[in-house]
Amino acid sequence: MRKMTDLWPRLEPLLRDAERPSRYLNHEFGCVRKQDADFAFCMVYPDTYELGQANQALRILVNVVNASENLCAERAFLPAPAFCDVMRREHLPLFSIESCAPLREFDAIGITLPHELAATNVLETLDLAGIPIRSEDRSENDPFVLGGGPCAYNPEPYAPFFDAISIGEGEEAVPEGLHLIRRMRQEGASRGDVLRALAREDGWYVPSLYRWRSEEEAQEAGSWIEPVEPGLPTVIRKRLFTRFAESNGWELCIVPYAECVHDRLNVEVLRGCARGCRFCQAGMMYRPVRERSADNIVESVLTGLAETGYDEVSLTSLSSTDHSQIADILTRLNKALDGKGVRISVPSQRLDSFGVDMAGLVAGQKKGGLTFAPEAGTQRLRDVINKNVTEDDLFGAIDAAFAAGWRRCKLYFMIGLPTETDDDIKGIASLAQRAYDRAKAAVPPEQRGSIRMSVSCALFVPKAQTPFQWDGQIAPEEAIRRVNLLRHSVKHKAVDVHWHDPETSFVEAVMSRGGREAARWVEAAWKRGARFDAWTECFDEQAWRDAADEAGIDPAVIAQTEYPVERVMPWTHISTGVSSRFLALERRRAQEGATTPDCTFGTCTGCGACPDLDSENMLAAVRMLSGSSASAAAPARGEE
Amino acid sequence: MPDPNLFRLRVEYCKKGRLSMLSHLEIARALERAVRRADLPFAVSQGFSPHMKIAFGSALPVGVGSTCEIFDLQMTRYVAPEKALAALRAASVPDLMPHDCRYIGPRDAAASVVYPVASYQAELSFALEGGLPLPEEVHVVRKKKEKTLKVADYLVGQLATEGAMVTFELEAKPTGSLRPDVLLNACIDAFNATRPEVQEPLHIVSITRTTQRASR
Ligand code: SF4
Repeated sequence: MRKMTDLWPRLEPLLRDAERPSRYLNHEFGCVRKQDADFAFCMVYPDTYELGQANQALRILVNVVNASENLCAERAFLPAPAFCDVMRREHLPLFSIESCAPLREFDAIGITLPHELAATNVLETLDLAGIPIRSEDRSENDPFVLGGGPCAYNPEPYAPFFDAISIGEGEEAVPEGLHLIRRMRQEGASRGDVLRALAREDGWYVPSLYRWRSEEEAQEAGSWIEPVEPGLPTVIRKRLFTRFAESNGWELCIVPYAECVHDRLNVEVLRGCARGCRFCQAGMMYRPVRERSADNIVESVLTGLAETGYDEVSLTSLSSTDHSQIADILTRLNKALDGKGVRISVPSQRLDSFGVDMAGLVAGQKKGGLTFAPEAGTQRLRDVINKNVTEDDLFGAIDAAFAAGWRRCKLYFMIGLPTETDDDIKGIASLAQRAYDRAKAAVPPEQRGSIRMSVSCALFVPKAQTPFQWDGQIAPEEAIRRVNLLRHSVKHKAVDVHWHDPETSFVEAVMSRGGREAARWVEAAWKRGARFDAWTECFDEQAWRDAADEAGIDPAVIAQTEYPVERVMPWTHISTGVSSRFLALERRRAQEGATTPDCTFGTCTGCGACPDLDSENMLAAVRMLSGSSASAAAPARGEE
Repeated sequence: MPDPNLFRLRVEYCKKGRLSMLSHLEIARALERAVRRADLPFAVSQGFSPHMKIAFGSALPVGVGSTCEIFDLQMTRYVAPEKALAALRAASVPDLMPHDCRYIGPRDAAASVVYPVASYQAELSFALEGGLPLPEEVHVVRKKKEKTLKVADYLVGQLATEGAMVTFELEAKPTGSLRPDVLLNACIDAFNATRPEVQEPLHIVSITRTTQRASR
């Protein structure tokens, strides 16, 4: 084990006055400190322990690195904002949890990019660690700073801050990359040579080895990046973990003391979703879909509960009720866990009575709230976004839910979707009110007072690598007008409308669609004090506004411009496997109001992911349709 | 199922090292998870959201350790105490390690009230010549309301100082209790106030609850 500085003696006295010291303690049940390794990696979640501890990428990558010969992995998180300031005042650098060692003493650190509002926290992390925030300013003695995660599918707004970025699933790519760094460093290679080698490995993007072109050059050349030397890939294809389905659903997991989000046993039951909602990035980037088998999942849940002592398990994925064996899995788990006081939760995108039946299987007597996401208020707009759900599906789900005992229901919608008109906004009000009436009819008269129906709206964010990547976001002022229209259109008192701040959605759109120039904006905003942007109470709108002037960019143009599909977007060199041609075709179908079915319930619709990644959907059994899709069963389409 | 009141297991454990910085709620959650890992036949409540029938002793403040904490677990069947203890120890971390298990009667007082009197040992940042000044009253803020507690109502006997070590005993009253760290900090504030500013202020290094007992 390499000797690293132990900062605990300096940290401990500061914890006396810290809020929730349990965040910084280490010594959790299940945490590992590997001794026989000569290369140390630290996985960082760029937000607090409470928000990051249960993060799946963190758990998976720490485990795979620790399972690799010669490598060890630790975790680190950003302290809460007030404690960041205490650490700066005391000159205490950011430390890892396991060894309480300074981040800058590690050989490499990996920062996951979980959402579009984490960029300033990346800079806060690096600065607090005493590592230069720009790759070009780092010396031979600094750790390699690696990035990855969902936002890496448009890496450019983060490009100058990372030495290398892992695109796609990291189960294999991350240990491979670390082994390469270790081997070359031991042979005495320079930092630059290591990065040149890493850039030639599958799934690794080294931004500093590519010149960023001007708009004109990029449109002419068909790509924004130009390699600075021969032999570098010009398209970086994502890595796919093809052994996901057969891999064990249970893996070592840390049981924290502090109360954390998603503090429960999380068993990933399937990866990917091919429903094909046209606004959804996750639905494009995890293809093809892979399911773990019912036996694997049931076994993993029971082992995981016994090993961790958790009293709750979540069967995680983008939409777990789509698993081909979900009914069997839940029935078996219910039986095995009867009388143990264990809760099971199942995230679901499924908006029909089957989804409600599944929720009912695990809810027991305690029926909290149910959430459904119709996303749009009219059938026309739902067809545009390819949300293959009808009013009858929704009402069928509501009837089933309220008859089964649920009394609260939350409906999620997006405002500002492409082609949206005021009629679609009024359609949200109408749909919610009719949903309320349906709920009332399904409930005995004396209990109707307890019915709650709420509408929750967020501003549409055009995401890179989706069919709507070419569509602009509406301006925040227009968003507010539409929300007010919605508020006035809701007449029922029992239906309340919640609304998510459009300013943060604006930053998200810029980060999702921006090119390398957006990094200047991030840096200027952070220097003006922006950090923890995802926390409503910390979001500093003014800092971001002033930063735009300083960086000399117009973020509104980045967020709001609509382009034809011919435009070369700033992430064209990053491939999810889904072809640009398919995205363009899907956008055209959207404009025509034509829908595309889910390939996991029928035949291939030609997105390109399977041939490109030399893989295929791996289902544990045949998936059966339910709801309106079953009766309509549109014929599957090939590539046109 | 036999009446779980018949099998009330009282477990004694320590809270020490870094983990003395955990809150009462964090400790409670950690213990419940240890019981589940130990696979003891714990009873589960009926009703809306079923949960483990476990009861905790009086709360220890964040930063205060202990060698003598207790919790009571209702079980659905008899497990020999030494077997239960072995299973719990195998499922626990060193700083929250159980060291004793025994059954208590169905009518015995609950863990939270059985031991109103507790003694504490504290280590200070330096040895004192003359001992600590003891204020007559301590002001605390509870639920946003300021409250004044009379030290004599809670302190049993004396506050004894020997070098850097302080020992004292506090009794919880049905109307409330005085936290050991609050009392000690009030003493230390009074002490620091008497000293010139240039000197390093005195502070607490650690506080440990060493025994708990019933009222006499
Ligand atoms: S290539 Fe075909 S089968 Fe594979 S994910 Fe795309 S649409 Fe589905």
